[in-house]
Amino acid sequence: MDNSGKEKEAMQLMAEADKKVKSSGSFLGGMFGGNHKVEDACEMYARAANMFKMAKNWSAAGSAFCQAARLHMQMQNKLDSATSFVDAGNAYKKADPQEAINCLNAAIDIYTDMGRFTIAAKHHMTIAEIYESELVDIEKTIAHYEQAADYYKGEESNSSANKCLLKVGSYSAQLEQYPKAIEIYEQVATSTMDNPLLKYNAKEYFWKAALCHFIVDELNAKLAIEKYEGMFPAFSDSRECKLLKKLLEAHEEQNSEAFTEAVKEFDSISRLDQWQTTMLLRIKKTIQGDAGDLK
Amino acid sequence: MSSDFEAYELDFGTLTAEITNKVGRIPKLAGEEKTQLVLNVDKQLEEVRELLEQMDLEVREIPIQSRGMYNSRLKSYKQEMEKLEKDFKRSRIAYSDEVRNELLGDDASSSESQRAHLLDNTERLERSSRRLEAGYQIAVETEQVGQEILANLNSDREKIQRSRDRLRETDANLGKSSRILTGMLRRIIQNRVLVFILGAIILLTIVLAIYFNLRGH
Repeated sequence: MDNSGKEKEAMQLMAEADKKVKSSGSFLGGMFGGNHKVEDACEMYARAANMFKMAKNWSAAGSAFCQAARLHMQMQNKLDSATSFVDAGNAYKKADPQEAINCLNAAIDIYTDMGRFTIAAKHHMTIAEIYESELVDIEKTIAHYEQAADYYKGEESNSSANKCLLKVGSYSAQLEQYPKAIEIYEQVATSTMDNPLLKYNAKEYFWKAALCHFIVDELNAKLAIEKYEGMFPAFSDSRECKLLKKLLEAHEEQNSEAFTEAVKEFDSISRLDQWQTTMLLRIKKTIQGDAGDLK
Repeated sequence: MSSDFEAYELDFGTLTAEITNKVGRIPKLAGEEKTQLVLNVDKQLEEVRELLEQMDLEVREIPIQSRGMYNSRLKSYKQEMEKLEKDFKRSRIAYSDEVRNELLGDDASSSESQRAHLLDNTERLERSSRRLEAGYQIAVETEQVGQEILANLNSDREKIQRSRDRLRETDANLGKSSRILTGMLRRIIQNRVLVFILGAIILLTIVLAIYFNLRGH
């Protein structure tokens, strides 16, 4: 695997392809099978990009794919152009996230134009993941996940839509946009309640929704819990519901000791994840001014 | 004569006292000591019997008038001896506290073992409750894993359904395209046939024109 050799080859191909494109730009070339040349050039760009990938030169590969995509657009070859943009996005993911996002956005535009919303939604999710992990921009993450969820809903793939919605919910709760989070969790919970495969997940969503209610206002939480129990009887049996009731009591009495006790007891059986511990900590802070140590 | 009898009475008295004493002690002992004591008492009983026999002989030698008193005394002594023998026999097979203690261990050590029992039980209870907790935890984790798996299955199901629908669509489209192609093929053949026919007509016309021209000359 002589990668450096591959790189040189790739450079050569790029140069050739550039020449072809330029030559087709001239009048004569345009007359005599200019399209043919442009197609060849596209193919050469793609090959060059693959070689760059082998040599692990991600940004060069990405730029080669972008070139190919633009040429495809010129030839009104939308599908090929979109696939090339996606390849470019993948290559840039490892080197330059911002460029990747640009390429993916271009691809999404083409797909939505053609009416292929499922794929567009999938790419929205990819972009959101990049924002989540590498660029850490939670607002944009939420925006993209929301778009993805909308597209999925439009295409009736409810499970993928629910997946995106859940992420939107958890991030908005983190950003303290509680009404939105509550609405999302309730929506997801009601839709999964009836599905026999998913109803065991429903109680988890109710639990999260109730937590968000709790942070906003204690009375809300009480009403919400009653409502959920009415809608979904199995919820009242779950340990989460019992924990909620204990927490409500502790909150009423402004007793942070009892609060911590109840949480510790729950945690000893099944660990609380990061998000839940953050929410519970916020609730605890509202009980009294002092910061508790939730473990 | 009676002094002999009185001497015998005295002996009898001491011997019976000793025997009673020893018989009282026998149940408490065991093993070697017991056998020795038993032999001892046996011997003493023998002596007592001999004494009684001699007292009997003595009484016989006494003149008949005063015999009555001695006879009654003799009878009571004999009864006492029989009682002693019975006691002796019973004592040899009696169960005593000592034996029981030896079997089941000392009083002090039995309370020790009770405490040890209680501690053991408490520890066992604690162990079982810990195991129950762990089991419950595992059950809860299993439930969560099950939830995730179900969610995955659901999404896979939707994907499969979608792919199936798309496949059917593609199938229909392929059918349509193949029909279009056959239509195209037919039209091409038609066109070619037409071209041939037209070509043939033109040729015929040209030939006829030349023929008539030559004819005309």
